[in-house]
Amino acid sequence: MDSPSRTFERLTLPGKVIFTLVPILIALLAGLVMAIVLVGPFALDFLSANLPLVRFVVAATVVLLMTVPTAFLIIYMEMKVIALMNLRYGPDRVGPYGSLLSVVHGLKVLMKEDFTPTGADGIVFTWAPVVVYMASVMTLLVLPFAPGIFGVDMNIGLLYFFAMGGLGVVGLLMAGWSSFNKYSLIGGLRSAAQVVSYEIPLTLSVVGIVLLSGTLSLNKITLDQSGSLFDWYVFKQPLAFLIFMIAATAEANRTPFDLTEADSEIVAGFATEYSGMRFGFFFFAEYVNVFIVSGLAVALFMGGWNAPFDWPFPIVAQPDLAGMGVGLLLAIGLIPPLAILLLAMPFYLLNTGLRFWQALVIGFVLFNVVAVAALLGFAFISFDWVVGLLWFLMKTYGFVFLFVWMRGTLPRVRIDQLMGFAWKWLLPAALLNLFVTALAIVLVTTPR
Amino acid sequence: MTGIWYVVGFAIAGVSFVLVTIAMAWLISHRNRGDEHKGLPYESGIDTYGDTHGRFGLSFYIYALLFVAFDIEVIFIYLWAIVFRDLLIGGFVSMLVFVSILLLGLAYAWRKGVLTWR
Repeated sequence: MDSPSRTFERLTLPGKVIFTLVPILIALLAGLVMAIVLVGPFALDFLSANLPLVRFVVAATVVLLMTVPTAFLIIYMEMKVIALMNLRYGPDRVGPYGSLLSVVHGLKVLMKEDFTPTGADGIVFTWAPVVVYMASVMTLLVLPFAPGIFGVDMNIGLLYFFAMGGLGVVGLLMAGWSSFNKYSLIGGLRSAAQVVSYEIPLTLSVVGIVLLSGTLSLNKITLDQSGSLFDWYVFKQPLAFLIFMIAATAEANRTPFDLTEADSEIVAGFATEYSGMRFGFFFFAEYVNVFIVSGLAVALFMGGWNAPFDWPFPIVAQPDLAGMGVGLLLAIGLIPPLAILLLAMPFYLLNTGLRFWQALVIGFVLFNVVAVAALLGFAFISFDWVVGLLWFLMKTYGFVFLFVWMRGTLPRVRIDQLMGFAWKWLLPAALLNLFVTALAIVLVTTPR
Repeated sequence: MTGIWYVVGFAIAGVSFVLVTIAMAWLISHRNRGDEHKGLPYESGIDTYGDTHGRFGLSFYIYALLFVAFDIEVIFIYLWAIVFRDLLIGGFVSMLVFVSILLLGLAYAWRKGVLTWR
């Protein structure tokens, strides 16, 4: 199986060009890194004069690129968790425990034929996945990940979040209309009706939180919940949390509300005619949406980055790196080889039958594990945002697991039940929650 | 006012990211024209007939109309919620009146059977 070279031969000419160019580009990038190291001091002066610009570039790059591993991780999680719930093995071939399968799926989608049907409106057909993807990723800009780690702290953050999230409906309608397919059209209209109906209870359910905290900034709402576990809004607004979770499931088009892709009724809904990377972006957006909805639930109800209990050992270490001088350079140069040899020694000496280079490889891998663990530990005790980020991600992936669990357990609802539930139950319940909260605030704060 | 520049800049960066990815995929993927059946709408193997952009259920429009009414209401409620601690009982009563007018409309639609999917 000489699959790499055979795959290369099968590519079209532009594909060959790109796969030849990419290594050259990587080499150029390495050269760029060297140049940065050499002219670093001068560049640093320029950058420190334009700090807001630098902050924007870093924030935009991180927010855009973090969606890729997030989507891969959630897709893998969904495949593996549902398989284990169904007593299947799930992915177990590519990478350890099949963990690289979602990456392979991503590469496959990248290389598939991207076809536009004859009757389709080409421009709208291309822009629909862009709109759907951007509508979900734009909301990541205001999500607070850790103290000081957020895209931008807007004073209308929550309103912006729902406004941008609501734009996804436009993309769904564009996809459904431009595909020139009856299933697509019905699927697009249906998902638009569903998303639009559940948007009302979703936005109304969080008004209770806005009433309590008096701000729309997600950062300040998270700060409001610092303190003990019972300052989290889930304990002050349990009904709102329930409504929010149901409506958010419908907003993200997840089972039991995935009428959008009801494959037994309307093939694949609005995505019927899509293929290749344009299809890929729809599903990319769906999995990013799961993360975003979970992150919003954490930021609003579960205390965001706040830890549920105080860390019992308050450690703050500030080693004086600059004071070590030449010693630091020596340490950086000497510790890795010595540690690798030290870690490789037992495998070579203890009569395991391994060759020397094999033992060295094992030592290298072990050293990397130890080094990463040590660096993480150092960051953990030195910067408070690392702890906050860890808590935020742990809670968020807890919610992601909840969504996957629901998909593995619940059957799909019927469309009339779906729409009736939004307008006849969730909307009155959300309004009731709003007025009870307002009345409670009036009763508590009225001067006696 | 940095927020608006973040939004504009991020929108440009994100849209170009998506479009460049689609263009790259278009460059490296296989393509062939196929015959005249390849471009037909996919309807489970049967050739399509009739107008695709034809007639569809009226209930979609009515849900959209209800949505517009309640979405405008939500924006009012958000602004009201921020300043609620200054208004207290007066704000509470006026919002109660405002929402009950809208709920009257919802009750009318409910009574007329609009909320029942057909």
